[in-house]
Amino acid sequence: MTDKTILVADDETHILNVVSLKLRNAGFNVLTAQDGQEALEIALAERPDLVITDYHMPLLSGLELSRRLHAEPTTTAIPVIMLTARGYQLDAHDTEASGILRMLSKPFSPRLLLATVIEVLGGAPVAVGTTGEQ
Amino acid sequence: MGRTKLVFATTLAALASGVVTLSWALFGGAGWTAAPHAALAATICFLISAVGGVAIMAILRRDCNRLTARLRQTDAPLHSTALSIPQAGFSFLQRALSELAESAERAVNDAAFRTKELEVQLKVATAERQHAEAIIYSISDAVLVTDAFDELVLANDAAARAFGFELGNSCRKPLDQVLHDPNLIGMIRHARHSDSEAPRRVVEHTLHTSAGDRTFKVTLSSVAGPRPVDGADRSAAPAGVVAVLHDMTREKEVAEMKNDFVSMVSHELRTPLASIKAYVEMLIDGEARDDKAQREFYEVIQNEANRLGRLIDNILSIARIESGLVRVTRQPQSLTVIVKDAMEVIAPQARQKQIALTEKLTPVFYQTSADRDMLHQAVLNLLSNAVKYTPINGSVCAEVDVDEAARKVIVRIIDTGVGIPPKDLPFVFDKFFRAEANSRMASGTGLGLSLVKHIIETVHHGRMLLESQVGKGSIFGFELDLCD
Repeated sequence: MTDKTILVADDETHILNVVSLKLRNAGFNVLTAQDGQEALEIALAERPDLVITDYHMPLLSGLELSRRLHAEPTTTAIPVIMLTARGYQLDAHDTEASGILRMLSKPFSPRLLLATVIEVLGGAPVAVGTTGEQ
Repeated sequence: MGRTKLVFATTLAALASGVVTLSWALFGGAGWTAAPHAALAATICFLISAVGGVAIMAILRRDCNRLTARLRQTDAPLHSTALSIPQAGFSFLQRALSELAESAERAVNDAAFRTKELEVQLKVATAERQHAEAIIYSISDAVLVTDAFDELVLANDAAARAFGFELGNSCRKPLDQVLHDPNLIGMIRHARHSDSEAPRRVVEHTLHTSAGDRTFKVTLSSVAGPRPVDGADRSAAPAGVVAVLHDMTREKEVAEMKNDFVSMVSHELRTPLASIKAYVEMLIDGEARDDKAQREFYEVIQNEANRLGRLIDNILSIARIESGLVRVTRQPQSLTVIVKDAMEVIAPQARQKQIALTEKLTPVFYQTSADRDMLHQAVLNLLSNAVKYTPINGSVCAEVDVDEAARKVIVRIIDTGVGIPPKDLPFVFDKFFRAEANSRMASGTGLGLSLVKHIIETVHHGRMLLESQVGKGSIFGFELDLCD
């Protein structure tokens, strides 16, 4: 798994740090961004294997970031996991059109997030739900 | 009868002969003295006619008496009477005349009574109409009443204001000349033609005005026309429509604000909670591999728990002030003392960022009547913001100034921070508003300034002050009245 690179985008430093640490401890390479615009630039340049993004971010929302990545041929295949604190229920149209594979609601379990990441990246099959704990 | 006629004829003949003889004697040229026979004959004729006249009078008098007696016997039918024909005719005539007079009198009385009754009814109807109009005029909702020809019959002030027509000269005008809203006119027409089984319909309608869109809840009731007297057509055609328009614009705004508030509160509460839960789980799972990392985790948990606490305090404080439930303890306070205390609380945060804290304070004896804890909270929030949004090595200065002439005490917190973009200035005191350009600079609840404004303006009737320049810094402050 160590060859996989994951981009984590969140404007909350604590969340960014905790997610990064969890993934690094599991052996992933982690890139971080604190707003949507920065995340888009890094993703286009680095083409990570997975993007984990917050929904509500300055400059570019997580949904818009996913849409842009999905629209770009070089990044369209990158799976996106979205974290949201608002409890938004994005409809299937939104998630499909923007290539969002999984939604996790905050507060979330880093343990569950890691399991979801492994499942999405096709690692060892792990039984996980698609939403975070409430 | 024959006797009466004979007496009548004899008397008339004698009278005529007397008159002829006398005329001949007087004017025939013979002269009174020259014709003594003629004079005698005339005298005899007059005597006969006088006797006849007396007889006729006697007969008539007798008949009259009989008639009177007959009339008194009201139960006797007319045809069974023993009276002679002239007597019966006379009686019939009198009776008919009497009946006619009676019925005329009855009719006049009836008419007078009916007129009085109608006058009363008119008065009642006028009073009722005025009453109904008074009710309609006093309703704050817009009311439009139309007739079967879609003409405006009645409207109130609220309607005139909402649709911009003049109340005085719009009555009896076609709707489309009064309202310039084809959709609403269409709805009123439709309501008039609608099934009388469902005479009331409630729809939401948006009115586009120059001052912006307004949303109305429109209640349309078709009013049935008067039923035909014979009652043949039981489903009377609607004669008109009453439209009541309730302006829901403000209610909708409030509902949206409440929704936004709940959604924002839940978002703001979830964010620190998300950190706390994640870091606790990381500690449990042994993800903090060394003591330093563990200590960092505990600090994050502590800070986020504190943030959650502050957030809840702020939300409750604002809610209490907004709902008027807050308990205010006013006592003479020195703002100089309050600012000094708050500076001490904020000093560690300022030291961390190497921010110079300075003060320019007035003597302690200037006092204002205020709630100490609330003012402490307000000053602390302003100082905390100043430190948060001032870059490392900047400075924050707290000033307390007194305007003796205006009897005001003025507090200013002056920073060398990032400043606020002009487009955001009108919103900085709004709940949960955070200038996006600066939101990465520091975490915040977005409630601090909203609470300060509430404390200063709602509770203490003071005034907030704000100046800001992007890249140079901000001055947040307030002024309060001095104690006498």
